[in-house]
Amino acid sequence: MAAEPRPVSPAAAASTPPIELMNASRWYGNVVAVNNISFTVGPGITGLLGPNGAGKSTILHMVAGFLKPSSGTVDVLGGPAWRNPEIYRQVGLVPEREAVYPFLTGYEFVLLNARLHKLPAADQAAMRAIRAVGMEDARHRAMGGYSKGMKQRVKFAAAIVHDPALLLLDEPFNGADPRQRLQMMDLLREMAAEGRTIVFSSHILEEVERLAGNVLVIVAGRLAASGDFHEIRRLMTDRPHTFTLRSGDNRRLASALVADPTVVGIELTDDRLSVRASDFGGFALAAPRVARASGVTLFEFLPTDESLESVFSYLVER
Amino acid sequence: MILALTLRQLVGRRPALLMVAFAALPILVAIIFRVADPDLSHERWAANVLLKGLIVTTFLPLVTLIFGTMALGSEIEDGTAVYLLSKPLPRSHVISAKLAAAWLPAALLVLLSTEISAAIALQGTGGASILVGFTVATALGSFVYCCVFVLLSVLTSHALIAGLIYVFLWEGVVTELFSGTRIFSVRQYTLGVADLIADTSRRTFEANLGGVPALVLMAVVGAAAVGVAIRRLSRFEVRGLV
Amino acid sequence: MARPVEQAAGSIYDLGYRNYEGARLGRRQAITSVYTHSLRGAFGLGRHTSSKIIPFGLAIIALLPAVVQVGFNSLAHEVVDVFRPEDYYEFIQWPLALFAAAVAPELVGRDQRNNTLSLYFSRALLRSDYVLAKVASLATALLVLTLVPQTVVFLGESLASDDSAGYLRDNWRDVAPIVASAAMLSLFMASVALAIGSQTSRWPLASGGVIAYFAITFVVASILVQTLDTGPPRYSLLLSGFHLIRGFTLWPFGVTPTLGFDGEDDSLTADLARADLPLYVYALAAGATIVVALFILHRRYRRMAL
Repeated sequence: MAAEPRPVSPAAAASTPPIELMNASRWYGNVVAVNNISFTVGPGITGLLGPNGAGKSTILHMVAGFLKPSSGTVDVLGGPAWRNPEIYRQVGLVPEREAVYPFLTGYEFVLLNARLHKLPAADQAAMRAIRAVGMEDARHRAMGGYSKGMKQRVKFAAAIVHDPALLLLDEPFNGADPRQRLQMMDLLREMAAEGRTIVFSSHILEEVERLAGNVLVIVAGRLAASGDFHEIRRLMTDRPHTFTLRSGDNRRLASALVADPTVVGIELTDDRLSVRASDFGGFALAAPRVARASGVTLFEFLPTDESLESVFSYLVER
Repeated sequence: MILALTLRQLVGRRPALLMVAFAALPILVAIIFRVADPDLSHERWAANVLLKGLIVTTFLPLVTLIFGTMALGSEIEDGTAVYLLSKPLPRSHVISAKLAAAWLPAALLVLLSTEISAAIALQGTGGASILVGFTVATALGSFVYCCVFVLLSVLTSHALIAGLIYVFLWEGVVTELFSGTRIFSVRQYTLGVADLIADTSRRTFEANLGGVPALVLMAVVGAAAVGVAIRRLSRFEVRGLV
Repeated sequence: MARPVEQAAGSIYDLGYRNYEGARLGRRQAITSVYTHSLRGAFGLGRHTSSKIIPFGLAIIALLPAVVQVGFNSLAHEVVDVFRPEDYYEFIQWPLALFAAAVAPELVGRDQRNNTLSLYFSRALLRSDYVLAKVASLATALLVLTLVPQTVVFLGESLASDDSAGYLRDNWRDVAPIVASAAMLSLFMASVALAIGSQTSRWPLASGGVIAYFAITFVVASILVQTLDTGPPRYSLLLSGFHLIRGFTLWPFGVTPTLGFDGEDDSLTADLARADLPLYVYALAAGATIVVALFILHRRYRRMAL
């Protein structure tokens, strides 16, 4: 499933981008958690992707102003993120930890957050946020009795109650059931469409693939890749693209395809043809032509490793 | 708001009830004392044994320790402190709210305990100044203790044990043995203030630290503790390697 | 290599996973493992450095008076008793109590907080086994804090004196009471600290509770005995941890507690002297307290829904 193509245009954001990291590093003694990372994030949904321990949470905490960069700068909305409580007027944070105040009800919790933001009509803002996450029915129950997904939704409501321009979510879909996940994804897409900047971290490829137009891949503290993941895939020219074909006569088609210069390797498995090609576009044009010329009917033609999974494993191994 | 929130967190659970029971102990002891042996010197006993020994040395630090370290410390440990800190609020607001939330129940318990037990013990004597002296002293002392313990809870996740070591090893043993270190003991400040106000002879009660230096030190230590706590909180970092 | 078992829609791959058919170590090993693991955890071994500071720091503080005495004697060329072996524990009673208060939540609070108890009890480990292993581990840790200084003093003194063999000959009778009192103290403090600490999974409350017990019983009992010399109040000493320890430490040494110089003494020993109870009573009361503490501790785990 491809994500909606949402072009990242740091050039278009001529005014200061919402998030800007320049040579940001963070180390703990001898261990470097984040290693000289620079990127900018603009409006839309950006996914921070990486294996556990890669540094995604460290980066998010730095952007949220809860970690000081050991070197380099982390700027949010034009100013440094560190020691700058003013940024929170425009920044909402959904932390990863499940802990909430168990004796407060959902409504009271969101209201508390609204009041701490000094919102003029705090109760209305709280109700709006609660309605947006679909928690109106359970809002007067104590949060100690909430399920994990309900807590997550209330945390989300608390983060958006002040209508922030920038939303940071740390592993937001952990433990969410599929329906909740879809609801939250829809909500995030809506908010992004309004021009907000949304950054979320995840190690689950499928989530990032569905939701994020722009992806930042963090591996071992370094920025391994950034941009639209389809584009990233195109750029990885030294790794052959894989296609799966089904046809009327696989063997004949295979022997014909081998002759084509874009083909690097062919494998016959069961009733499928796995073709490795060096040039994505070139092969896509050549294959139907070759099939026609050999008199073979093509039933199926799929690029098989377009998923973020393959992109990801490629980058991790590099 | 943070004040109300924290008060709700601190009060109304089982430990709080135990606190109330502890607060009742001095009162009980005072009653036993009055009932059992009427011809002891009340004033001396009240000042040295009851108020200094039981309340100031034992009850006061324990109560302020529990409330002081839990007010902010439990939030930091649980992870809910994030919600308070990710707001456009100056950190001084957060600290002062937490400090007030710790001090109010602690002071309430300590003062009630002091008043009632001292009143019972000193009944019929002219020792009203002792009562006044210890009232003021414990009110101020509990505040300074709370400042120190709130600071500890910002500095370390082992705040309570550190506080216990401070109270029972440092204040309990070291400052008793080495009199020069008295200036670093909140207990001595408290006793000094009590001595200043209580109008008693040397035989009845005397603190190791003079009243005026005690007050000055209280102000200095309290302000310093709060200042450092605010500074550290504005540089609050999520702990550990995530 | 994968070998598909079925050729239909799904396939099961035989990856070579085998069940374990060998010997299983059983209950004894489980108890020993809990014991060793807890003992290591008490001193923060195998963990981040910051969790070693407090246990080791307190252990060093407990050792300090011994080092001072030995050092002083080796320099002074004369065996001067700064304190007798039976008095040592009174010197370090607060570091010992603080150690127990600091370590108890590590032993019994951590498992409750992390929900790992269900892992423990789904093995060949009974609740009573778990409890005994935990008490044994804390008692062992406390034994280290009590016996090591005593050993240092004993050996140090004998080496420092001009006639080592003579010193040993004169003082070997102290060895058995030293060990006995150390063992009783460790067992007592361990059971009480764990009984209190296991009641809550919140660390600060656990530590605070343990210290509160020692401090408050100590002060209240002291006050009662000092102000009301005779009658029932002296039995309040039997509820105070520190007093019990002092009492059952003096008992094997056969030392009777006496008042200080001017009758104004408000020390522990003076309290005991005023109360004038035969010393074995303290040992009995301590034993009873240990039983009650173990019962409370066991009950806590028995009633815990996992």
